[in-house]
Amino acid sequence: MSVTTQTRSAQKTLAPWMRSLVGGLVTALPVILIGIVILLFAPAYLVRVAFAAYVNLLIVLGLQIFMGNSMVANLGQGAFVGIGAYSVAILATPVAMKKLSIPDAPFGLADIVLHPALAAGAGLGITGLIAALTGLVIARLSGEAATIVTFSLMMVVHSIFIQWTDLFKGAQAFFGIPQVVGLATAIGAATLATIIARLFKDSASGLHLRASAESLLAARAFGVDVFRLRLLAWILGAVICASGGILYAFFMGTINARAFHFELVMTTLAMLILGGMRTVSGAVFGCIALALLLEAIRSVESGIAVAGFQLPPLLGLSGLAMGAIIVLGMTFRPRGIFVRLELDELLWRLFARRQPRAITEGKPI
Amino acid sequence: MLSIDNVSKSFMGVRALRGVSFVGAADEILGLIGPNGAGKSTLVNAISGVLKPDSGSIRLGDVDLTGRGPEFAARQGVGRTFQNLRLFPSLTVRQNVEVGLITCRRHRPEVARSIDIDALLDRFGLAADAGRPAGTLPYGQQRRLELARAEALGAKLLLLDEPAAGMNDYETAALADQLRAIRRRSRCALLVIDHDLHFIMSVCDRICVLDMGEVVAIGTPELIRANPKVAEIYLGAAEAAPHQKNIREERQWN
Ligand SMILES: Nc1ncnc2c1ncn2[C@@H]1O[C@H](COP(=O)(O)OP(=O)(O)OP(=O)(O)O)[C@@H](O)[C@H]1O
Ligand SMILES: [Mg+2]
Repeated sequence: MSVTTQTRSAQKTLAPWMRSLVGGLVTALPVILIGIVILLFAPAYLVRVAFAAYVNLLIVLGLQIFMGNSMVANLGQGAFVGIGAYSVAILATPVAMKKLSIPDAPFGLADIVLHPALAAGAGLGITGLIAALTGLVIARLSGEAATIVTFSLMMVVHSIFIQWTDLFKGAQAFFGIPQVVGLATAIGAATLATIIARLFKDSASGLHLRASAESLLAARAFGVDVFRLRLLAWILGAVICASGGILYAFFMGTINARAFHFELVMTTLAMLILGGMRTVSGAVFGCIALALLLEAIRSVESGIAVAGFQLPPLLGLSGLAMGAIIVLGMTFRPRGIFVRLELDELLWRLFARRQPRAITEGKPI
Repeated sequence: MLSIDNVSKSFMGVRALRGVSFVGAADEILGLIGPNGAGKSTLVNAISGVLKPDSGSIRLGDVDLTGRGPEFAARQGVGRTFQNLRLFPSLTVRQNVEVGLITCRRHRPEVARSIDIDALLDRFGLAADAGRPAGTLPYGQQRRLELARAEALGAKLLLLDEPAAGMNDYETAALADQLRAIRRRSRCALLVIDHDLHFIMSVCDRICVLDMGEVVAIGTPELIRANPKVAEIYLGAAEAAPHQKNIREERQWN
């Protein structure tokens, strides 16, 4: 009794959105700290690895916003990552470069160049628009239909990248994109996305959407506009996925449609499932855990020296390991690490339980 | 004011409602009784928009609810409970109630201003469990939470499908007090289905008797008790299967 009253009165001192903001920051703390350590001390190759992990985190967060709140499957996130990346590739690459790579681009796109920031804004806008259109269909689906349609969406977008060679360079790499962002930008974006995901989850719309995932009929009978909220989450999630693609393009300078396909979808999905898709903390920690694990495995894969002996490279180990992690995770922790409560909520409980009981318990002193 | 006009609904040949008509006053507690399969839940589902009637019309005040879907009804202030509990099990008790309040805030902000979640939870004896996932509550509390969630919608009309099911006499009496208190607080109308005649007679201003999808009688508890047709249909059926109250059919509505 004492614990609950205490918890409630202490939490009441903050407005709900402030609590979410603080919660989002607590969840993002490891993202920021790990990032700073890498920025300060890590060698260049590790910075590249870390950058890729931060891009993955953005995608996992985008995925969480839609899937975690609506509990409708999404295997199409690769499409939006690709749309974001190709948007800035086409819009921000210098004209001289495009004369070489996509001289026959339609709509005079070979002759214009936008400032990277403008191109990024346009990329987010284009993604939002495409998400709004596709969302009109997807927000009405659930179950197997959603799985199939979102996956098909990615296949369609991928084949457009591959087939429309005048614009996307087909299966070849699109090069010459200005390399204008570094790890710090990715850390900032991932932090921001973590907070956005948390604010959305805790918002009135987020709560209504989560209710619809628990009982569709009851949610509708309580006035939840399931279609509109799924659409909203779909668009927001897509835009955040696209931001990952945009940063990736601006960091690498070269992109290839293969990067936005099966492997990306499986990796980010595994991260989300491993961490727990209902929580933002699940997205963050699933991503961190799997990124670390995959990196460790990759170093074994390429052959490491143990106690002076050079071990032979073990090719294919990372794919195998990822499969094993997914299977083991799904078997022993099907709902992930953070099932229902966020990191800050768990910490708060731990803290509240430690409070001395005697002071508040019953009888007057 | 609820007015049901000539509402019919069939399920693949089964005529669950056959031209049901009646009018309910703005702040009355109206009982809806009848044997199993009489069409009581079907009527509640039609009013709350979960089912679309084949014909007829359903109005609340001067708003036509017919066939406009459950979201629309909820926004107009039609709250309900379900014969088989349908809470949001992994949301907390408090969040369950908030779902109703959010809808009220968006569509009838002036009503929402007078709703205080903490006080509401307290009245239903749920304050201490506000942070628990609803699915972990014992059955009796889940039932109360369904009521609280419906009231938080700022309801003008509450549809309660067997709220006393599975309760003992003591709990049923407490529920009756609760229903009167809800009416007093939010000045709403209640439509209450139940098989417990004692409960229905004690809490309702009027009672509507449904059998085979038709209204057999409607009137004050005294009139209904004295009605020979009702005795034949309803009480006859109850005598034939005295423990039917406990048999809850597991049927899906969607
Ligand atoms: N979704 C449905 N699909 C098919 N038939 C249905 C459906 N819902 C109800 N029915 C049928 O309609 C008739 C009326 O059912 P309803 O659930 O309204 O009865 P009820 O009066 O609520 O009974 P109970 O006291 O058992 O709850 C029954 O014959 C039932 O089998
Ligand atoms: Mg029924």
